[in-house]
Amino acid sequence: MFDVTTLAQFFVTGLAMGSVYALVALSFALLYKAVGILNFAVGESVMVPAFIVVILLTVLKLPFLPAYLMIIGVMVVFGAVFQRTVYHPLRGRPFISVLVSTIGASLFLRNTSLLVFGADPRVSPALFPVQSVGFFGVFVPPQYLLIITTLIVLVVFQYWLFEKTLLGKKMQATAQDRDMARLLGIPVDRIILITFIYAAILGGIAGILLSPIFYVTSDMGFMFALKAFASSIAGGLGSIPGAIVGGLFIGVVELFCAAYISATYKDVFAFIILIAVLLLRPQGFFGEKVSEKV
Amino acid sequence: MSLRKGLPVKTLFYLTVAIVLAALPILIRSNYWIGTVNLAIIYSIAVLGLNIILGLTGQLNIAQAAFWGIGAYTAALLNTRLGWPFWATFLVAPPTAAAFGVILGFPTLRLSGRYLAMATIGFGIIINLILNNWKEFTGGVDGIPGIASPVLGPLRFSTNASFYYLALVCLILAALTQVRIKNSRMGRAFRAIKDNELAAELSGVDTFKYRVVAFALCSAYGGLAGQLFAHRTKYVSAETFFIDMSILFICMLMIGGAGSVAGSIVGASLLTFIPEWLRFLQGPWAMAIFGLAIVVIMIFMPTGLAGLVKSLGSKMAVRLGPDAHREPTELPRKASH
Amino acid sequence: MRAETQANTILEIQGLTKLFGGLLALDSVDLSLQIGEIRALIGPNGSGKTTLLNLVSGVYTPTRGSVFFKGRSVTNKRPHLLVQEGMKRTFQTARLFRDLTVLENVMIGLHGQTRGGLAGIVLSLPGIKKEEGMICDKAAEALQFVGLHGQAKALARNLPYGQQRLLEIARALISNPSLLLLDEPAAGMNPSETSDLVSLLDRIRQRGTTIFLVEHDMNLVMEISDVVTVLNFGRKIAEGSPAEIQNNEEVIQAYLGKKARYA
Repeated sequence: MFDVTTLAQFFVTGLAMGSVYALVALSFALLYKAVGILNFAVGESVMVPAFIVVILLTVLKLPFLPAYLMIIGVMVVFGAVFQRTVYHPLRGRPFISVLVSTIGASLFLRNTSLLVFGADPRVSPALFPVQSVGFFGVFVPPQYLLIITTLIVLVVFQYWLFEKTLLGKKMQATAQDRDMARLLGIPVDRIILITFIYAAILGGIAGILLSPIFYVTSDMGFMFALKAFASSIAGGLGSIPGAIVGGLFIGVVELFCAAYISATYKDVFAFIILIAVLLLRPQGFFGEKVSEKV
Repeated sequence: MSLRKGLPVKTLFYLTVAIVLAALPILIRSNYWIGTVNLAIIYSIAVLGLNIILGLTGQLNIAQAAFWGIGAYTAALLNTRLGWPFWATFLVAPPTAAAFGVILGFPTLRLSGRYLAMATIGFGIIINLILNNWKEFTGGVDGIPGIASPVLGPLRFSTNASFYYLALVCLILAALTQVRIKNSRMGRAFRAIKDNELAAELSGVDTFKYRVVAFALCSAYGGLAGQLFAHRTKYVSAETFFIDMSILFICMLMIGGAGSVAGSIVGASLLTFIPEWLRFLQGPWAMAIFGLAIVVIMIFMPTGLAGLVKSLGSKMAVRLGPDAHREPTELPRKASH
Repeated sequence: MRAETQANTILEIQGLTKLFGGLLALDSVDLSLQIGEIRALIGPNGSGKTTLLNLVSGVYTPTRGSVFFKGRSVTNKRPHLLVQEGMKRTFQTARLFRDLTVLENVMIGLHGQTRGGLAGIVLSLPGIKKEEGMICDKAAEALQFVGLHGQAKALARNLPYGQQRLLEIARALISNPSLLLLDEPAAGMNPSETSDLVSLLDRIRQRGTTIFLVEHDMNLVMEISDVVTVLNFGRKIAEGSPAEIQNNEEVIQAYLGKKARYA
């Protein structure tokens, strides 16, 4: 049970799940960092594309690549609409108003998808013809490897975007000091819109990656949202690398705890980590110190 | 001066309300709707609790449903396993929930704002997951059936109509208690903490103590609501207590008007009745519209209904009674130096 | 504690030091305040004046050193306990309870000296009602003392700036503190308001309260203080009567090129 192969298998599986958490956490953390909101509907930005993927692939029988590209397009619209309706009218208001508004949005999306897609869990056809791929004696579904690879590619892409492009620098500036950014001539509202769209696309990618290996239901988004919170907090609420590390961390720890301690309580571990972090080190791995009083 | 002018109108208003409340089961014949009223009353009590921690003291607590759950399960277990009657669970459930409130409130003293919100979410989820999974103790997903209707001496409250009066009395006591707290030194301390915690501390308020007390009071109210719920529906399961419900409570409070006692009750009632009215539509339709409505209300009514009433109300309008701050009508005259 | 100063010393600071990460905000400051004194703490911006005030009132904990209030060590005590023992302070930017009325703001100032608990409140016991009445009366008194009694029912957020500062002082005075710490009370005031402030401070002193103020307005400082302490870069560089300080070489050097208003 504790042999290297099994451990490695668990580790890779944990990394795969953790990568999905990292993607969702990234979406969540970006919005927090850019506009200071906690987006309770982040899970729905995974659930909606997942459903649409299933429909495109199974009902409309589109090939994979066009379907995936269409999803990205859908998520652009999703992000834009979400920003305009749920965030924009509330942008000056107290934090809790926006929070409640995103909850309303989440409720709306969950139930609308129930009406549109029905209550049966769906799954999309497997992307790879083989069940599992082996290396060094460890056998894992190829989809897991795809997920992990996608995360790596995305992290590199994002680093390039934020550090090396003008758009990325503008996004960073807007996140750090909105008024200053405005004074520098940065079109802040547009940058915020772009941030929302980018965050939605991240959710879309997560949804696409999950759809062949996860049962897609209208309330699946919820757990992802919560794990995204936990990941962000563990990694440090204002931190982008923190969200990624936090997601991976929770994915791996959760899996090992489920395997060796209790499978029934699998979901609890993420929240135990959350509470532990909040009590012992609220700033998480990479966050700034939660400041002294005055 | 406005107090004097308003007095007779106020009394008339109160009298009308009292009569309507007393006669409600007669006015509303439908057993189903009385049942909904009962639910609204129970939710109101939970939201009143939330009002103390969030409305008055300004601390983000997104775990009220967990305390509701703790109260409900405490009542369920004591009643079904040990045969304890209603009045016994009534006395034990709220303090039990309050104890958990302290468990949550005490270690989180260093946190505030978003971090506190996160911690309460995590706490709520853990409680929910434990209740849902600990089969031997809580019955797991199946929950605990067979809770007895309330019995107080010769009085049995097994119908919706009779339960209504019991719940109403509880609500009135809960509301009255909160009005007294709000208008007291303690209420001032809570409001000061919400407004400017550092200034409160430097004015002599032990902010740590009061934050914990606020948590305890909030969770006591939640526990009471849960206990009443358990005896009303005679069945508890953890599905009902998911984080959705904590958020629903917050919505009820925001819509009614955070900080206002009357607002808490109105908000809770509205958000109980509207989904019920919409229930003639298929389930998900109702919820979807409900979700949309929340967004719309947040955009257009930021201070909730109580805030709306306050701004619309001029000196002539009838003020929602429990809301009024106690002010001295005249400053005592002292000889100056 | 030195025996001969014990009886008259209300506040004693020994070797008080505060490090913020790498920044040495206060460096080994000693200070001794006598009962009934009016002491001014001056120094260029960034010299550590507010830090000292924050350390004394318990907002910060010192890195090194100790604070004695009325002969007892209060070095790591939480602020509300210091308030109970008779120390009150105001802030540079008036920290009022903006959504409470003027009267309520002042009433909170007496919180540390009152006891009404949950049971009494919920049961509406006569003792509680009596205490509320007493708090109300004292608040009215405090408002009258600073000249704000006409504004009792106004919301604090609606007061003009000068009156907000007065409200803060009223909130501090309601508990009849032995020591009052004021952080730049004259900031933003015009000469007429400042002159009113001088007479207010004098009246406060006559009630028996010791006053310790941080200030930039030199006119005010010279007019009202008994003793002036000067800080620069976190260290005490001079201490003495206003006249002595005005002529002190090192003090003048410290202020050269900085914004300061002289007589």
